[in-house]
Amino acid sequence: MSGERRIVAFCCRECAYAAADTSANARTALPPSVRLVLVPCTGRVGPLHLLRALADGADGVMVAGCLLGQCHYREGNFNAVDRVAFVRRLLESVGVEPERCRMFTMSAGEPPRFVAAVREMDRVIAALPPLPRSGDTAPAAGTTDAAVAGMGVA
Amino acid sequence: MPLTHRGREILRRVPGGHLRGTPAVGCEIVRHEELCVGCGTCARVCPSGASRRGGSFDVAQLLDAPEGSRRGELGAALRVLMRHPPEGPIEVPERVTVYRTIVHDAEICLGCGACARSCPAGAVEARPPRTDVAQASGRDQDT
Repeated sequence: MSGERRIVAFCCRECAYAAADTSANARTALPPSVRLVLVPCTGRVGPLHLLRALADGADGVMVAGCLLGQCHYREGNFNAVDRVAFVRRLLESVGVEPERCRMFTMSAGEPPRFVAAVREMDRVIAALPPLPRSGDTAPAAGTTDAAVAGMGVA
Repeated sequence: MPLTHRGREILRRVPGGHLRGTPAVGCEIVRHEELCVGCGTCARVCPSGASRRGGSFDVAQLLDAPEGSRRGELGAALRVLMRHPPEGPIEVPERVTVYRTIVHDAEICLGCGACARSCPAGAVEARPPRTDVAQASGRDQDT
């Protein structure tokens, strides 16, 4: 489990997943860290999906949807953009790097853009320290200090 | 006495309609924040504008939410990731509708109890004023 990065990518069936499919057919290698999750529309992805994925072992989550204004369900991706922004704020407020959650947009005809997005996400996550979870043993040094400082604020 | 669905529907349409023993105004509104899902129904039905959907959300509410509820599950996931206790309220983007703190302004509140009747989560309680409770129960005993 340790040492291996895991990124969960929620992909819209209408665009990002189709782009992923095309890129796979072209035998373009994706980073091994990425796990694709097919959703009918990014509007289906809620804060709980993103946060639960992180809590259950993902180091990063990405939401890949249609270009803004081109959602097949009219405004699903706008909902997703706001939910991703909400989750980022949630993470930030408890001291987790908000970069771990990110939204990308692309059209079905842009496999290179999808590959670039996944690689970008993989690069960002690789640069971050491993994500500590409360179930883990021996908290990292500095965690206690941060907790004390946080309590002072709250 | 339990009311039929139709009776409740009629009651809702009648201005100032209320159940016997529950005055139309003057109730004390008690909000149970841990049960609130932040749907904003109370804000929609509030005739005086005392209940409003706030623009921010107190993250600590997630941690207090009961287990098994939608907020509680989000709180459980957050607790796993948490490095320090949440820092104050966060701004909520426009399209995120349910994770908001409902602001209830007791100054403007009429105490009509519309919010309590409409709340799907049972998070709002309308307590009738004390004197009226005594009178109502007295009347009930006489009849």
